[in-house]
Amino acid sequence: MKLALERVGHAFLGRTVLDDVSLALDAHETVAIVGPSGCGKTTLLAIAAGLFDPLSGRVRRAYARHAAVFQEPRLLPWRTARENIGYGLEVRGVRRRERHAIAGRLAEAVALAPEDLDKFPVELSGGMRQRVAFARALAIDPEVVFFDEPFTALDVGLRRALQDLVIGSARERGYAALFVTHDLLEAVRVAHRVIVMAHRGGRLAGMRAVAEVPGARDERTIWQTAEAWRTGDPLFAHVFDVEGRA
Amino acid sequence: MVRALGRLGRYAWSGWAGLTGLCCLAAAWQAGHEAYGSFILPAPLDTARALAALAASPDFLRTAAETTGRALAGFALAALGGSLIGVLAGYSYAAIRAVKPILTVILGVPPIAWIVLALIWFGSGGGTAIATVLIAALPIAFAGAVEGVATRDRSLEAMARAFGAGPLRRFRSVVLPHLVSHLFPAWTTTLGTAFKVAVMAELLSNAGGIGGALAVARANLDVADAMAWVVLVVGLLLAFEYGVLHPVREELERWRAAGVPWGVKR
Repeated sequence: MKLALERVGHAFLGRTVLDDVSLALDAHETVAIVGPSGCGKTTLLAIAAGLFDPLSGRVRRAYARHAAVFQEPRLLPWRTARENIGYGLEVRGVRRRERHAIAGRLAEAVALAPEDLDKFPVELSGGMRQRVAFARALAIDPEVVFFDEPFTALDVGLRRALQDLVIGSARERGYAALFVTHDLLEAVRVAHRVIVMAHRGGRLAGMRAVAEVPGARDERTIWQTAEAWRTGDPLFAHVFDVEGRA
Repeated sequence: MVRALGRLGRYAWSGWAGLTGLCCLAAAWQAGHEAYGSFILPAPLDTARALAALAASPDFLRTAAETTGRALAGFALAALGGSLIGVLAGYSYAAIRAVKPILTVILGVPPIAWIVLALIWFGSGGGTAIATVLIAALPIAFAGAVEGVATRDRSLEAMARAFGAGPLRRFRSVVLPHLVSHLFPAWTTTLGTAFKVAVMAELLSNAGGIGGALAVARANLDVADAMAWVVLVVGLLLAFEYGVLHPVREELERWRAAGVPWGVKR
């Protein structure tokens, strides 16, 4: 067990956002959290990542390093891609020379061209920026990675490529991941299990395990699973109900 | 290093455009001279000659240095103090609300009134000029710093926190580079105010410097000399603004220029 949320609850200005949420993340496991917009999944992730403390319940962490990839790349605009990738390392006190060496290796891993490393974020395309953000997360060799709808703003092809990158790197490096998304297809593709949040009240509605491990599933199975859940599984009904109205 | 020199070269080259603007101004000045005559508005060339004659006198350097020293001392104090208080206040909405009316009051009191007060407090001398510059210019730097900190990108701060950055590192890596783009325009205004107010304070407090020289020129009804001193002050301001402040800013904000197509670069 890497991370456990125990009966976590949170409220903003008296409005309950999370209520009695418990979940555990095992080593080498990717768990997707799906739910309609505004159901509190980003808050859940922020609490899990330690961005703020929950009002009730507690978070137990059994690891040394975590990293996060956000919906927007959130790169420092005044730093080159190389320096952005090294940001987490810099916080940990790694020397510049070593940071740059690691950034060089990771650029290759996330399919960034070496010449792009000296560019500023404004000079990079949206997909490349998100690759830099992903490389920044991998740079600190994390044991747990938090993904907050990381590929929502990208087009379908790019999204697929980056999902494969997540699946591949999670298997290679063995990190556990909490992956928030509202795309059921994405959840089924990248995760071992999918947790569904209720559309109001900030509670968990339920959990479904996905057959086989991420990366081993063929496209057809992924699509059929997602479609079966979307149309036939009452657990998911409200997710798309609300999405349709939005 | 070589690349930095290249950027400096490009910056210097862009000076031609600035020179064009100044020449247009000089042309308008010449036109005014031809319309109203030498007594009202001496010709630019006559002014230049007067300036050259003044520069030959032994007191010239001391006079110019006196004013420059006072203006820069006031500017340094105002820019540092104002920015520091501004940064601290920027982190707290309550502090911003509490301090803003005070600034309005300080800015609302005309510099001339501060000079009178400073004369009483510090007597006639350099202290009066520096104190007046400080009071007149500090709120500008403060406002810039507050604005900079208040408009920082909180999502970047959350990112930094997610990677374990403490408050000091968050300030250095996330807030400070953003702050620069608010501080430099404020500092440019602060510097301009510093020179203006320094000369005014010198003139009124009889404290020598360029202000003192202007008072003498006025007493002698020597319009060419007066214009020459004015040109000198403006020249000094231009030199410090474009020789120091702007190159530093360009160097710190390279990332901004990176996104601009080549032909548009400054």
